[in-house]
Amino acid sequence: MRRRTVLTSLAASSIAVAGCSTGEGVDTGGAGETGGGGGGDAAAFVAAISAQPDQLDPHKTTAYASFQVLENVYDTLVVPSADDLSMQPSLATGWTTSDDQLTWTFTLREGVVFHDGSPFTAEDVVFSYRRIIDQQLANSARFASVADVVAQDPTRVVLTLSAPTPNLLSNIGGFKGMAILPRSVDEASLTTKAVGTGPFRLESSGAGEIALTRFEDHWGQAPSIDGVTFQFITEPAAALTALTGDQVQWTDNVPAQQVASLAGDDAVELGQVASVDYWYLAMNCAKAPFDSRDVRRAVAFALDREAITEAARFDTARVNQTAIPEGSEWHHDYAPFTTDVDQAKSLLAGAGVGGPLTMGLMVTSEYPETVTAAQVIASQLEPLGITVDIQTEDFATWLDRQGRGDFDAFMLGWLGNIDPADFYNEQHRTDGPNNYQKYSNPVTDDLLDRAGVEGDRATRKSLYDQAAQQIVDDVSYLYLYNPDAIQAWKPGITGYETRADKAVDFETVTLPS
Amino acid sequence: MTALAVRRTLQAVVVLLGVSVVTFALVHLVPGDPVRLALGTRFDQATYDALRERAGLDQPLVVQYLQWIGRAVTGDLGVSFRSGDPVTALILERLPATLSLALASILVALLIAVPLGTASALRPRSFVDGAATVLSQIGISVPEFWMGIMLILLFAGTLGWFPSSGYVPFTEDPALWLRSLVLPAVTTGLVSGSVLTRFTRSSVLEALGAEHVRTARAKGLPPRAVLDWHVLRNALLPLVTVTGVQLAYLLSGVVVVEIVFAWPGLGQLALQAVEARDYPVLQGAVLLFAFVFLLLNLVVDLLYSRLDPRISA
Repeated sequence: MRRRTVLTSLAASSIAVAGCSTGEGVDTGGAGETGGGGGGDAAAFVAAISAQPDQLDPHKTTAYASFQVLENVYDTLVVPSADDLSMQPSLATGWTTSDDQLTWTFTLREGVVFHDGSPFTAEDVVFSYRRIIDQQLANSARFASVADVVAQDPTRVVLTLSAPTPNLLSNIGGFKGMAILPRSVDEASLTTKAVGTGPFRLESSGAGEIALTRFEDHWGQAPSIDGVTFQFITEPAAALTALTGDQVQWTDNVPAQQVASLAGDDAVELGQVASVDYWYLAMNCAKAPFDSRDVRRAVAFALDREAITEAARFDTARVNQTAIPEGSEWHHDYAPFTTDVDQAKSLLAGAGVGGPLTMGLMVTSEYPETVTAAQVIASQLEPLGITVDIQTEDFATWLDRQGRGDFDAFMLGWLGNIDPADFYNEQHRTDGPNNYQKYSNPVTDDLLDRAGVEGDRATRKSLYDQAAQQIVDDVSYLYLYNPDAIQAWKPGITGYETRADKAVDFETVTLPS
Repeated sequence: MTALAVRRTLQAVVVLLGVSVVTFALVHLVPGDPVRLALGTRFDQATYDALRERAGLDQPLVVQYLQWIGRAVTGDLGVSFRSGDPVTALILERLPATLSLALASILVALLIAVPLGTASALRPRSFVDGAATVLSQIGISVPEFWMGIMLILLFAGTLGWFPSSGYVPFTEDPALWLRSLVLPAVTTGLVSGSVLTRFTRSSVLEALGAEHVRTARAKGLPPRAVLDWHVLRNALLPLVTVTGVQLAYLLSGVVVVEIVFAWPGLGQLALQAVEARDYPVLQGAVLLFAFVFLLLNLVVDLLYSRLDPRISA
């Protein structure tokens, strides 16, 4: 199979690239040499990300900031394409599936070398996958149906499954958490060092910045820029000043409320794409009165999603009553709720909820948009006689309470979803590990179970559509919106694309000539 | 002098042990589970159990404490849950940035406070005095993050004189180190300087009213000599104490300013550790801060006995 020309690997984040930089960590002067539009003389560019990666072991970290860096350093067997996130060849050039769908054979790319010079073989794939499975690392659940991983020969890997897994490709390639490491790697060093096959190698990592340099022996074309320096700038005003001042060339630290003014600013190029993230409200199905489907539906009828979305995200999100965004091949157009307070009131009355009601709504300062949205939700539920008690927690406490089921309702989002299984399985199956709202409907379970092993794509989509409708109708989640991915970079930079999965890939970036 | 030092050092050790117990207890009492946080929102029971066991969190608290303190006395503060790096390495990595900022800030603060505070004390109720009072009031009241952002927008954005954020090690590029240091140091220096200005003023005023000063003047000493030898020397004493405390505060990291300026110091490290409930890092950082406070207090006390011969062991 052919290599994609742009945005090859890097499923987890997206990035940008930028204009002339000095290659020094910090310099306001912008006095650096301008790269000749690619080629070897281009200077490195600086990307400002909003948080410091917690660590760089791809199999252990769960932080988005880490994956913004790792996207450029590691490869997976397959990667999501930039345009529709369908799984494309990367370290694997092709794959075949047995008739019973239980045996997947991957053919590996030849001539690939790791950053330490060692050749990439099937044994490295086996080592990497076994490491995740045997040590039960962060993403081991993605291998739940994998019974065995075997190197058939140096260029072929066979995965044996215990049950058909139509989303196996997105499980092993959806993001760099499933990266392939060389089997000779010193595992303990992976928190601060990296040995991958990606377009950039990790030069240094520290508390202030992480530096990558171009990997000349990359299996694809080597990048045109010399390297990427990631700086961690939490304060948006500082990040945007650094961008306009030529101190950095790319940033994702762009607050939603600034997008309108930046759009008219010639000093900044804005990338804005509907993301695959979604934000939702969940009510506790195991706690009265929210155990009543009618009460939850009453809330769903009382809310004005447009107003909530506008308050939380300005004009940088799209209202959606289901989880999967428009534009995804798995999107299902279903929007049964219109704002109707009378309908909501009669549902409440029918459920036997007469008197005034208090709903504790747990939100977190970690995600400020939940705090803003909660205020709008509170005012919208007032006419219904529901008093919303907004409980703002730090994220650690929030997760604690969520895990204990100690809430009436909470608001949060799910990020980086690709396959419909990512959107629904863990959250809405009766025994799903992330079904904190304790939703349980045998019909939904059955639909999700069947969809989970269905090999035919059309049938599978139809099953997920039905499951989605059931979930929306039962208000297991009250879906609100899909936010946009927003990034900004210096004008003149080419070869960079903001992606729906927010993977940040600088491989094909070129600086202005 | 030596006896004083020995006595103070022994006291410090006892205090540190107390701090270690209290810190450990507090850190573990705060709600929030580091393992859950480390897993992100996507939860899996088997992974959770494995991580918990690896971090030693399945042990009883007392056992965990004894293991930790036992290693701590040998200088091993454990390994960060969040990053997997040794805590001492994480702290040492951030020490240069914190030291640079703290020392530069205290320098800025003293450069503001000593002249301004002395000037306003010498002419109470004058224009200079009024202006100094108002300015220091503003310096104390204005939130640091706002001041920082304003300085960034003006001096980094509009004027382009300094980098808007980031830290460059001295060893890498001394000129850039200095330039990147200016804005954050001014931000924290203004606040500390405001506190110190008021202190200097009242301290100098008090010294001016002392009887020996009146005597010196009556002897006909020139005003400059009176100021240098009889006023400032005495006024300096309390200032040393307050400066020591300010420095200790700055050394334990100025969280807000570090965040605004993307300054990779100890304050940021501690904040990240709190957010992630990274117990080892948090315990190590608090222990270090306590140590710094005790050390500076000790230094101040010893300095005191040097500056004022009346105080000695």
